[in-house]
Order: sequence, then structure tokens, then C-alpha cells
Amino acid sequence: MKTHVLFNLFATFLLADGLNIEDSAGQFFSSGHTNNWAVLVCTSRFWFNYRHVANTLSVYRSVKRLGIPDSHIVLMLADDMACNHRNPKPATVFSHKNMELNVYGDDVEVDYRGYEVTVENFLRVLTGRLPPSTPRSKRLLSDDRSNILIYLTGHGGNGFLKFQDSEEISNVELADAFEQMWQKRRYNELLFIIDTCQGASMYERFYSPNLMALASSQVGEDSLSHQPDLAIGVHLMDRYTFYLLEFLEDIHPASKANMNDLFKVCPKSQCVSTPGHRTDLFLRDPGSVLITDFFGSVRKVEITTEAIDLTDPIKEVEERPANGDIHKEMHSYVDQLPVSEIIHQKPKQKDWHPPDGFILGLWTLILLVFFQTYGVKHLRHIF
Amino acid sequence: MAAPLTLLLVLAVTIRAALFRSSLAELIAERVEVVSPITAWKRVVEGLALLDLGVSPYSGDVFHETPLIIYLFHFVVDYAEITFMLADVITAVALYMAVKDYNKQVFRKQKFALEADRYPLDCLELIRSPKEMYYIPLKVAMFYLLNPFTILSCVAKSTCGLNNAVVALFIFSTIKGNTLLSAIFLCLATYQSIYPLTLCAPAMLYLMQRQYIPVNFRRASFWWFIAQYLFMYLGSLFVLICLSFFLLGSWDYMPSVYGFILSVPDLTPNIGLFWYFFAEMFEHFRLFFLCVFQINVFFYTIPLSVKLKEHPVFLIFMQLAVISIFKSYPTVGDIALYMAFLPVWSHLYRFLRNTFLVSCVLLACSTLFPVLWHLWIYAGSANSNFYYAITLLFNVAQILLVSDYFYAFLRREHHLTYGLYLKRKDGSEATLVLK
Repeated sequence: MKTHVLFNLFATFLLADGLNIEDSAGQFFSSGHTNNWAVLVCTSRFWFNYRHVANTLSVYRSVKRLGIPDSHIVLMLADDMACNHRNPKPATVFSHKNMELNVYGDDVEVDYRGYEVTVENFLRVLTGRLPPSTPRSKRLLSDDRSNILIYLTGHGGNGFLKFQDSEEISNVELADAFEQMWQKRRYNELLFIIDTCQGASMYERFYSPNLMALASSQVGEDSLSHQPDLAIGVHLMDRYTFYLLEFLEDIHPASKANMNDLFKVCPKSQCVSTPGHRTDLFLRDPGSVLITDFFGSVRKVEITTEAIDLTDPIKEVEERPANGDIHKEMHSYVDQLPVSEIIHQKPKQKDWHPPDGFILGLWTLILLVFFQTYGVKHLRHIF
Repeated sequence: MAAPLTLLLVLAVTIRAALFRSSLAELIAERVEVVSPITAWKRVVEGLALLDLGVSPYSGDVFHETPLIIYLFHFVVDYAEITFMLADVITAVALYMAVKDYNKQVFRKQKFALEADRYPLDCLELIRSPKEMYYIPLKVAMFYLLNPFTILSCVAKSTCGLNNAVVALFIFSTIKGNTLLSAIFLCLATYQSIYPLTLCAPAMLYLMQRQYIPVNFRRASFWWFIAQYLFMYLGSLFVLICLSFFLLGSWDYMPSVYGFILSVPDLTPNIGLFWYFFAEMFEHFRLFFLCVFQINVFFYTIPLSVKLKEHPVFLIFMQLAVISIFKSYPTVGDIALYMAFLPVWSHLYRFLRNTFLVSCVLLACSTLFPVLWHLWIYAGSANSNFYYAITLLFNVAQILLVSDYFYAFLRREHHLTYGLYLKRKDGSEATLVLK
């Protein structure tokens, strides 16, 4: 009886599938992402900045748990806390006192470590302009269908973020790096999270499309750390990332939580600073963006035994906007290679020639001077 | 004398051709001592490429040559090496013929002075003979062609070689006494880089001497000659500038060429004195020091002309040296031009006081330039102070050289008037003391 029902259900399912598999094929080609990347950067070194490493490793843990593989994560840690000789619990990095959560497990892959975390390397990772000898694990091999999560933490100020206590990256540089990424089609959508003092200043200057940004504090405010652990002797995490981690622990790969929930993480009562966010450059409505679009690596998979003819262009399935507001204009990439012009060869540009009047004038003068010097009487011998 | 000169020319051309074919050519073309932002060949090629793309070559800070150079190289850019070798040859031949003519006049004047008994009896050993002056023109040509500075400048295809050719032709036409050609070549030289303007004064003095016009402010003929010369000079300058306008149809070249030379925006290190000062100077004082440095070049003209009004060719030598030392973007090619004149004053050898010091310093500095450049830029263990120290020392040595020759020249003139061995009224030996 049960198998009978199951078989019926299966058959109906298949039949139903067979009817609209071609139509729903369009869903797979709607403007969305096909792969996820994460660039997680901790910019501070020294033992007392333990919490920044713990921040980054917490986000790393969440992102890996939700499905992004190590090959798609670029983890940059400016200092080694787990094996720091001041760490009373070696080979561990805890994110909560009472040592509830060790975010430094057996399978943490750090791509840029120690002094390799520099502004130059960070920008090179983002823009892809790395020397040919760079291994794949150190590259951000994203394409125009990648959703990228970028998480920065460290010490910052109004318009800058300090790297390694010796250099800084400014919000303008960051905005330009993202613009380069857009022009090189290196991302589909990008979520930028920053947990530093005055973090909101870092996303003020963004001007490229499809960027969403979150920060732990506004300009003029400091981001505060959470709680110190008296056994380890330092603050273990920053408040914003602590509550972010708490929020993310409840997310699983099939979760439908959206960005509006993320914006509510760490209100002023918990964080003391006011977290900020910026969505004006983002195309979709934040309510329709799933957390797993950035933090996880969820693929749309539909199993079918039918063959689908993809030779005709598949029409995109357009989702009607939920509240009927005006459809935002589509951003598109610039046509970088004008193939049509190249195929129909333009005639080669003519080289520049000096104007005839100039040549005439110059040589007349030269001849005048010549005859003035050597006397007109020589003309008689020429003619 | 044609045969040795031809042999010398062939030798010089061979050396240059050999260096052009070797891999040193690119190395030398990048050296900052040999090329400057005004004279670099790379920039000429860049400017011509921009022109082919339909953009004015003067847009941006790349090209600082005059439009006539554009016109010249538009046609000969494929034969650039031959052009520069030809320029060197022209310079050498012009200097050769100029010095030959000058020697003839010197000897003639000396003969008249001897016959008029104007020399004291004991300074006969200072009198020059045709035999010793016979090889001077060849030596001048040799000093110019085989000077390592000239060879480097030619191999780097620096347009300094063309500037030198124009100046040499100017000197040649002046010494020959042709007022119009002298004015025209001086105008060309000024048009290329502003500094040869100071050579107006010695040119006018020489031509007046040749035409027996007394150099006296109260004489009308003096002012009339000056008016004539200046009219020819300024007229041809005006014609050249208008012609340059018609080449590209715009006045873009004025700020790019003359504005660049005068306001020194590019502070790439070179062997001159400007770059270091202006790199460390506050913006507030920049205009003031710019004026000071530029006036410094023109400042020595009038005092030197007053002192050397009987000897305009020596004045030309001194002016060329002053220009090479104090111009805004000097290169070793400029130095080579005035060093070519040194054999003409070889009779002053006995009065020179600093030959050892000057030659040692010049040699040491010339070898230290690339060393300290490497240490500064590539090894990172030195800084700009090291390089500037050598630049300063090099310029000090040049100044010492020039002032030494000046001293020797004046001293010889003094001896020719007052006798070699000074005697008091009773016949005992006296010494002259500078107080």
C-alpha cells in the first residue's frame, strides 16, 4: 500500500515535472549566482588583538559550515593566536569565555598568514592582479556569477582600516577596488561586513552596483569588545561579531532567513555602538536576499531524467516585485571587446603629415637665407 | 689638414656605429646623466606616436621638443642613428673650420701687435707661433668627437647633439663674420632651448670687432649695429615661432617647451643643480627660487662681456660653460661642447693652477654617477643626498675649470701688457700681490 502510494506520487511528480521542466529551466538562468566566495581578513597582529583573529575565525567557521569550501575561501590572518607563546591554551582560539566554542579546529586553512596580510596583497586578491606564481589557494577566482562575502576586522578609524600596525587602507581605495572588480566582472553581488571602530566610514565611498554593506559602528563611534576571559587574559571577541556568530549559529543551509534579519543583529542595547548598513547600491530588495546567498553555498539542484534543449536562448523567469514598486534599472557590463567592429576592419588611420603651408614657408626661408649668404650671382650658373 | 680630419670623422662614426649595434645602446639611453626630459629620444618617439594617433604631442607631460624637431624626425625617424651621427660630424667640422679661422685672426692680430711693439720684451715666450697652432683645429674636432660624453650622448640619441650642432654652426658663422647666418643660427639655438640667448652679447662683440666698429656707448654706429643684429635675431625668432604655430595649428608648444624649461616641473635627477633644491622646497618659496636660479644663468653675461669685450671668442667659451652648468636640465652633451674648446686655450697651460684637482674630480665624479645611482635606486642603501653630492662636486669641478681658464687668460693678457717678470723701478724683482 505504501509503495503503491509512493509510486503514484513518484509518477505524478515525474509527470508534473515533465510538463514544465523546460519552463523551469528558465529559473536556473535567472540573474542569480552560481558560486560563492568569501574573503575573510583579520588585519591586526599582537596578542592583545586576539579578538580580531577570533572574529575572523568565527565567520570562517560559519561560512564553512553553511557550505562554502576552503577552495572558495580566502582567509587572511595577520597573526597566529593559536600557537602564540602567550596562549595558555595552545592550538585553540575561543570565541566565548568558558571555552564553549573553539573556532580553530583541525581543518582551518589560512591562506595569507602573518606578514603576508598587507594592503597590497588584499587589493591584489580582490582585483585578481597577482603574479603568475601565486597558488590557487591564494587567489579569488570569482567570475561574474559569484556572490562574494568580504569580512574585515581590525582597528579602524574614519575612512581607514589599519593593517599590521604599519599601513592603512582607505575607503576610497576600497571603493576603487570594488569598482575594478565590477569592471572586470569579478562578482555578481557582494556583501561587505566590517567590524572596526567607525566602520560605517569604510562603505561610505562605494559606487559600484550590487554592493551591500554592514558595519558594526557609525562614524564617531567605537566598536567595543565583548568580554575578557580571565584565564586567557584578553578579550575574546568583539560584540558585533559575537552576536553575528550567535545569529549565524541558528542558520542552516535550508534556512530562509533574509538580510533584514541580519540588519537587526546586535542592536544598540547589546552592541553599545549603532550598527549600520547600506543597501542603496544593491539591486534586489534586501528582504528577498537570503543569508545563505552569501554565507552559504547553496546550489539549485533539480534532478530530472529528461533532456533539455538549450540551443534556443532560455528566457529568464522574471519575478514580480513583491510590493509592486518600480523595477530598478538593470545594471549591465560594458561591452569591452567590440567584436563587431573588429570583424569589419576599420581602415588604418592616416599618418600625420605636416601642413603644406608649413613646408612651403620653411623651405622658402631656407632658400632665401642660402641665396642671401652665397650671393645671387650663383643663380646665373645654375640656369 | 683634410686627410686627418676625414680619418678622425671615420673613426668617430665607426665607434658610434659599433656602439649603436651593441646592447649598450638601450642601457645608455636610460641613464639620467645622458638624457633629460627635454632631450630624451624615448619622448620624441612617444610624441610622434601621439601625433599619429591624432593627439597633440604636447598634451600631457611627455614631449618637450620644439615643433621643428617634430618636422625633422617625422621624416628621419627611421634613420635616427645616422641623423645623430651626422649632427656630431657637422658639429665637429663646424668647430674645426671656426677654430682654424679664429687662429688665423689671432695670429694676424698678434703680428700687428708685434710690429707695433706693443708687447714688452720679456714676454716673447708667451707669443704663439703658427707651428704650435697648426694642430689646434684638429685637436678641437678630436676633443669633441672622441669625448666619451659626446659618444654617450650620440648613442643615447639625445637631441642635445642637434642643439650642439646648431650652436657650433652659430659659432662658425659668427667667426666667419656673416651677421645674418649668425643671427639665424643663434635664433635656432635659442628656439631650441632658451639659454643660448646669452650668446647674443659675444656674437655682437665679435662681429663689431670684425667690422671695426668701436665698442663705445656714445657712438651711433655701435647702436646701429646692435639694432641691426637684434632686428635680424628677433625677426627670425618671430618667424620661427609663427612657423611652429602653423605646423600643429596651436600654441600648445609654448608652455610645453618654454614653460617647461623655465618653470622646471620635472624633478628627475640629473647632473644639474635644480632637481634636489626644488624637490625639498616648500611651494611658498618655489617661485622665488625659480627666479633666482634662472637669473643665475643670465646674470654673468653683462659682467663677463664688460671684462672680455676684447676677446669675444673666450667669452663664447665662458658663456657656453655657464649655460652647461647652470641650465635647468643639463646633460653630459652640453659639457662636451664647451670642453671641445679647451685645445684652443692650450697656450694657457702654464698659468692654470688647478688642473690636477679638476681632472681628478671630474673623472671621479663621472665614474661615481652610475655607482651612486645604482646604490640609491636599485640597492636602496644610499639616498638622493649621495647622488646630489656627486652632482654638486661635478658642477664645482666644472666651475673651477672655467674660472681657472678665466684666470689664466686674464693673467696672460696682463703679462702681455705689463711684462712677464715684474721689475721695480730700480730693476729688482717684484711680485704682484692680490689684496
